[in-house]
Amino acid sequence: MIETRNINFYYGDFHAIKNISIAIKPNTITAFIGPSGCGKSTFLRLFNRMNDLIENTRLEGECLIDGKNIYEKSTDVDALRKRVGMVFQKPNPFPKTIFENVAYGLRVNDMGDKHFIKQRVEESLQAAALWDEVKDKLQKSAYELSGGQQQRLCIARALAVAPSVILMDEPASALDPISTSKIEELVHELKQHYTIVIVTHNMQQAARVSDNTGFFMHGELVEYSDTKKMFLNPDKESTQNYITGRFG
Amino acid sequence: MNKKHSQFVAFLIFKLLGIIVVLILFSILGFIIINGVRVINWEFLSKFPGEGMTTGGIFPAIVGTLYLTIGSLLFAFPLGVMSALYTQEYAGKGWIVKTIRMMTNNLASVPSIVFGLFGMSLFVNKLNFGDSLLAGSLTLGLLALPVIIRTTEEALKAVPDTYRAASLALGATKLQTISKVVLPAAMPNIITGLILSIGRVSGETAPILFTVAAYFLPHLPSGVFDQAMALPYHLYVLATSGTDIEASRPMAYGTALVLILIVLTMNLLATFIRRKLEKKRSK
Repeated sequence: MIETRNINFYYGDFHAIKNISIAIKPNTITAFIGPSGCGKSTFLRLFNRMNDLIENTRLEGECLIDGKNIYEKSTDVDALRKRVGMVFQKPNPFPKTIFENVAYGLRVNDMGDKHFIKQRVEESLQAAALWDEVKDKLQKSAYELSGGQQQRLCIARALAVAPSVILMDEPASALDPISTSKIEELVHELKQHYTIVIVTHNMQQAARVSDNTGFFMHGELVEYSDTKKMFLNPDKESTQNYITGRFG
Repeated sequence: MNKKHSQFVAFLIFKLLGIIVVLILFSILGFIIINGVRVINWEFLSKFPGEGMTTGGIFPAIVGTLYLTIGSLLFAFPLGVMSALYTQEYAGKGWIVKTIRMMTNNLASVPSIVFGLFGMSLFVNKLNFGDSLLAGSLTLGLLALPVIIRTTEEALKAVPDTYRAASLALGATKLQTISKVVLPAAMPNIITGLILSIGRVSGETAPILFTVAAYFLPHLPSGVFDQAMALPYHLYVLATSGTDIEASRPMAYGTALVLILIVLTMNLLATFIRRKLEKKRSK
């Protein structure tokens, strides 16, 4: 369960997120759509405090995950990020072997012995629908994989540390259509065990994979509802204009 | 003149200038090789100088230079890498870091004789190390420090931020991210910095002049508080202040050749390590 209460976020003087309150149910897929620069990625990155890495930013309001405000002083940010995994826009495997990429999160979090890690790597690669393609070349560089395989490797890497939430920031925008559909299938599969929040530029993708959709514009959450309703019968005119491509 | 012609002329000029530079380089090398190779034999490499530096070899100077190079880098490499890690990964973008970076750049352009004087007043006199391998190594290390800091900073900058983001997003701490992802990825370029500083350190005369170098020693240094001979200084001695400069001239060329060969070997070794790391990294 993710919940934000009157979140405001600033890059310097720029008011990037304007007073957004939202509740995301567990084991659902939520899509954030909206034009470039609307704040959807920034909003997503609030959930695992990745915006902390950017200097000169400011946050107001609360962001609760499982009932606890993650912006409290006492929050263990590393532990939070272990619980809230992330898949990035461009596949970003480490310059390490396929095996070591997936094992990395287990190693840095001290999760289990050699045997456990081996088993967990296999499970994660299977969950990411990549195992059959890489099981004979686990010791090869991750960069020998295709872009789509690399992105599934990054998903496997995120799954390995057993998060409860997975944030995906336009995970298929750098991929070809076939790889994209594989990722979408995978996202659908993962829903059973994880809460997934996905930012996407692609409206069809949002319509295909998500249960709920949030439409962002100029840092505001214009509309947030059931995906079917959003695409068939949106409440707001600007939502209608955006999803039908008559934007502006 | 149309644009095809001007392109042709421009490239011709670039090519000529390139060839001239290479020719100059090769004539210097050739000159030293031709004059130096005559005196190089096992005796030259393994014996102490004899009869007022006109016979014998340069063994103690070779050993001294190796000690000094290794000693200075033992000091400067970890310190330089850690400084760069601090300024690049931890310190943010405030004025303190900007000042440190500006100072580092300034330090890199300070003449080496100034380092020599500083080393003498601090290490030799103030800290009472005397003329010693320790004082010489530390002085040379100071000289290498800005080079190592700069190149390490550049190497860290070249590591994509997406690696850092991926690591942090998995719950790794900043230190884990640096030691397990950033440093390994930057290592080949950091080694390049090390190569550059090896070249600089082993060839410098001024910093060792007042801190460690001896005109002649009948024995090898036996500890860090001993003086040592060193190739660049020995070359200077042979060329300017031997008992019979004409007679020791061939020895000077031989010394120059050995110095060049040592620098070359160290560079090759470092390049080899760099290649190996790069291969391991992409595997």
